[in-house]
Amino acid sequence: MQEEITRRISDDLLRPLVETSWRFWLLVAVLGSVVATGLATWFYQIYNGFGITGIRNPIYWAFYITNFVFWIGISHAGTLISAILRLVNAGWRRPVTRCAEVITVFALMIGALFPIIHLGRPWLFFWLMPYPSERQIWPNFRSPLVWDFFAITTYLTGSVLFLALPMIPDFALVRDKSTGWRRRVYAALSLGWQGTTKQWHRLESAMQIMAIAIIPVAVSVHTIVSFDFSMAPVPMWHSTIFGPYFVAGAIFSGIAALIVAMAAVRRFLHLEAYLHPVHFENLGKLLLMMSLLWAYFVFAERITVWYGNESAEREVLLVTQRGSFAPLYWTMIVCNLVIPFVVLSLRKLRTIAGCVTASFTVLIGMWLERFLIVVPSLGHKYLPYSWGTYRPRPVEIIITISTFAAMMLLYTLFSKLVPIISIWELKVGEHPFAQETAAEAGNHRLWKANP
Amino acid sequence: MTAIYALYSDPDHVQRAVDNLRAAGLHDRDIVVISSEPIEEYEFSARDKATWLFYAAGFGGVVGLVFATWLTTMTQKAWPIVTGNMAIVAWWPNMIIMFELTMLGAILATVITMLVAANLPKRGPKLYDPEVADGKILVGIENPPSTSVQSIERALLSGGVARLKKIGARP
Amino acid sequence: MAVDLDRCTGCGACVTACHAENNIPTVGADQAARGRAMHWIRVERYFEGEFPDVRVKFRPVMCQHCDAAPCEPVCPTYASHHTSEGLNAQVYNRCIGTRYCANACPYNVRFFDFFHPQWPKPLHLQLNPDVSLREVGVMEKCTFCVQRISAAEIQAKADNRELQDGEIKPACAQACPSKALVFGDLNDPDSDVSRLSRSGRGTKLLGDLGTLPKVTYLERETQG
Repeated sequence: MQEEITRRISDDLLRPLVETSWRFWLLVAVLGSVVATGLATWFYQIYNGFGITGIRNPIYWAFYITNFVFWIGISHAGTLISAILRLVNAGWRRPVTRCAEVITVFALMIGALFPIIHLGRPWLFFWLMPYPSERQIWPNFRSPLVWDFFAITTYLTGSVLFLALPMIPDFALVRDKSTGWRRRVYAALSLGWQGTTKQWHRLESAMQIMAIAIIPVAVSVHTIVSFDFSMAPVPMWHSTIFGPYFVAGAIFSGIAALIVAMAAVRRFLHLEAYLHPVHFENLGKLLLMMSLLWAYFVFAERITVWYGNESAEREVLLVTQRGSFAPLYWTMIVCNLVIPFVVLSLRKLRTIAGCVTASFTVLIGMWLERFLIVVPSLGHKYLPYSWGTYRPRPVEIIITISTFAAMMLLYTLFSKLVPIISIWELKVGEHPFAQETAAEAGNHRLWKANP
Repeated sequence: MTAIYALYSDPDHVQRAVDNLRAAGLHDRDIVVISSEPIEEYEFSARDKATWLFYAAGFGGVVGLVFATWLTTMTQKAWPIVTGNMAIVAWWPNMIIMFELTMLGAILATVITMLVAANLPKRGPKLYDPEVADGKILVGIENPPSTSVQSIERALLSGGVARLKKIGARP
Repeated sequence: MAVDLDRCTGCGACVTACHAENNIPTVGADQAARGRAMHWIRVERYFEGEFPDVRVKFRPVMCQHCDAAPCEPVCPTYASHHTSEGLNAQVYNRCIGTRYCANACPYNVRFFDFFHPQWPKPLHLQLNPDVSLREVGVMEKCTFCVQRISAAEIQAKADNRELQDGEIKPACAQACPSKALVFGDLNDPDSDVSRLSRSGRGTKLLGDLGTLPKVTYLERETQG
């Protein structure tokens, strides 16, 4: 009985690796061409000069920094959710963890690309790294951008390892179930894993430590990204609330991305037996909670500015709420608060489709939120003579869209090469070797789902 | 490498086999139990639980902290440049770098120690059976001394339903 | 530097002189309309009052060379830093174009080379050999004509004498017909600029932000 279940789990979750339909190739081709367009556009920008973007005096940061903050925010999904759920030993995490961790790694990679894209001389980005040079000059550790470099490097390293360690036993499984070149590749990737009790203990201890370590790193990363803004004397940037505000927003957008990714994986890889409505419901409740938390931070910040009577800050506040940015601002409020609140608090609406809808609106809303943090403040600093407006140019829009395509492409390729649900973790949860009676085993979810 | 091992479907039988092997005079460290998922609830899996991993992580963190402190203060003092009326050795931002590199040190130390302790990557011949991937649990002895082969076989078989297998040269 | 707003006529000679002295490119009408003009010193014009009691006020704004410059700690490569003489330096070779300094500057006096600077003929003949040309992707701003400061200091050292007050004149101060712009050594209490900075008419632009700007604006207090 248990071997039935074991075999079924292995078969279902390994099927995407061995069976490839024409739809996969079509998707890869479409996404790949969008990504290629984005890359070409970037090189066009380097060749022709940064002036082809919409950046201008005084708005020197716009779309690219918005995207940077957005993607780093998305990256908080995975590792944070996966780590926290591991630490509190929430059983429903098992099919979710790898989906989430993959989002983190790829979102971080994409996010980390944007500080390079937005540089005036991107070929010199390596000056942010501390290395001994013959000029004997080092990066300026007082600069939040250098903090970004260290934080993102640490988080990326941690996330990749956090993702890769539990993949080792699954690679061993793929190795055992495959032949030919695939067997050789996965044998190498599995590092000769056997599955001795000692190896399992070391792996789980390492995962425990990583889960504990990755949470403060994740919190620090987005706090440091928020410091890019709060360390500059720009109205409505120089706020002490930015650290927690950004972390809350990051977790918020991260959960939304996770729900969308899980729904896509469930649909396209036919994993309905493994990703149940209860998983989406639980994440949906978390999303609702984060929506309220986000709204709380926004409210606290804005009411403080409204009371503060500091003229430059009030100007920025009003231009977002009533002025030229008002349409975007109110769209953001509807997307981030109103729709998620309605959809996610009513049990009837908190279905998979409902959660995905709410997540899409949250992703749109959070992108707008980053934009509305960056651009209105820069456009309305302390000297009204220098105020300005910003319009994005095609190059920025194309690169933005191509990063979404890049994320989807990387995710698709990953799910083709690695089981998107952690097989060994799922097995441990599905049939822990507690003394299960035959009756209990017969009531097993999987057995009932597909007798 | 030679080995004798048996495959079981039920962890209760595994526990019995391990106990029998111990009764036959074999040390815990010679008895290998291999499974496709961690089995926490049984005594046989508790043998290797003690680990230095947490201390390794702490040590890695300390190394990271010391390195970060040195990197920031050394570089700031090597070419003292005034920025924004701030101190040459600026502790507030240095603490951020120190935190990040502490965590990086802890993470890297954890992973490296884990790989070393778990003996990964492991090349060369090793004790394994593809049926483990289907959920069977393997109990075996690597490189058994020829005098003990009989008693090992008895211990493994007395564990209940099992299939006995051998790898390598036969006595 | 001290800027006497009661003397400023808004003629803009300082802007032109700065362009000429520091090899600042003109960006063309299209780019200027997009807000990318690079005037290291600009003359801000404010209208006060309703017609017919309208008054115009002019304020030349250049880099204030703040003692607590917010643009300096945020530059990841030390391209923006404080020299021992108290100037805020911009090192073009070290700039990788993050534009963080421009965001941090409350005075909006930092400018970015969006394209490769062009000098359509025959303007290329007018370039100042003492000032390096910038390439696309770097930040630039007023340097208080550091090339003139260096030249005067080198000359004084060669002549084995001290620098005189008024010996160094940035291009803007030199060109100003009403002598509204005065430059000198703030460490010398007897220099013109020091005396003007201590004047009762003196204020600092955005002084409450804590940037400690070195430029004092002199303005008669008026009613209303």
